[in-house]
Amino acid sequence: MSIEVPSNISSKALSRFVLSLADDEFILGHRDSEWTGYGPILEEDIAFSNIAQDEIGHSLVWLTLCEQLGGRSPDAMAFERSWKEFTCCRFVSYPKGDFAYTVVRQYLFDAAEQVRLQSLAQSSFKPLKEIAEKLIREESYHLLHSQSLVERLGDATEESHRRMQAALDEAFSQSLGMFETLQDEEGLIQAGVFPGNDVLRNQWLHSIVPMLKAATLTLPVKSEHDIYRILCSSDDGGRRGAQTEHLQQLVSDLRQVYDLAPQSKW
Amino acid sequence: MDTQWETYEVFHQTKRGDAHVHVGSVHAPDPQMALQLAKDQFARRLKCVSLWVVRTKDVTATDYQDDGFFAQSTDKSYRDPKAFESPEKAVDDEH
Repeated sequence: MSIEVPSNISSKALSRFVLSLADDEFILGHRDSEWTGYGPILEEDIAFSNIAQDEIGHSLVWLTLCEQLGGRSPDAMAFERSWKEFTCCRFVSYPKGDFAYTVVRQYLFDAAEQVRLQSLAQSSFKPLKEIAEKLIREESYHLLHSQSLVERLGDATEESHRRMQAALDEAFSQSLGMFETLQDEEGLIQAGVFPGNDVLRNQWLHSIVPMLKAATLTLPVKSEHDIYRILCSSDDGGRRGAQTEHLQQLVSDLRQVYDLAPQSKW
Repeated sequence: MDTQWETYEVFHQTKRGDAHVHVGSVHAPDPQMALQLAKDQFARRLKCVSLWVVRTKDVTATDYQDDGFFAQSTDKSYRDPKAFESPEKAVDDEH
């Protein structure tokens, strides 16, 4: 079943946008699954395994839309592409690190996902709007989980504060890559598909800066007239396929079983 | 220093009006996190409309050693509700 794209929207730019959403979820879902069996406490081990399955499920929803827009099948997109063809932000590809890094990354991602889905729930492109409305409920609980951990670990003990701040110092610049401007993004903004990555980044900062501050964690940002000025660089490149060797390793890992018998039916 | 989170007992309700049934326990730093973690452990596959969590240390229990507590010194079988329909059976028939 294919979906028709209105003439004022570039089908290519739209597919590129949807694929960036799918790839972010797919790669972060894989990273979350790496905690299965290794969580610092059984309950968090299970929680992260659960979130991993949710994220990969959301990725399937976006990949199915990509296929309906004229792309290849979700399986082919997940398992037959070269790592250089993935358009996830680099942020989600970095190794899982310690639990502090994982919690901080998940929180920064979940908060971004929240503003992204809220804006897509207003999208002029109906299929995007419907998917966003469906996914936002589950994602709200992911955010509640990661935010609860950040709130508690930010100032629980001297060690937890130190490790959370170190994780944030490492993750923040990387996380800005979630909002890397997409090729032909301007056309999508004008057609009302989404408000654009600059707008989303600022909405995201309005959500995370006060929360992190309450958790006694600091970010390199300055607030000026309702706009946050960012005092560090953004780890861009992922959206145009300039990926890291970490993604190369990850994609080779996740293809291992598939590559044994690519034509098998599961 | 004890770095282990304390445990919470988890009670699960399948549908409104049913009793909450004890299903197990979770480690958590506080009651709100206990609810979130209990959802992942116990409400993921089972249908669930409500969860309760109670700090394990807030549960006051009898001691198995003190079996006199439940001892029946005289025949009290006349108190058993033998003449009534078993409610479990009635519930089973619904399924």
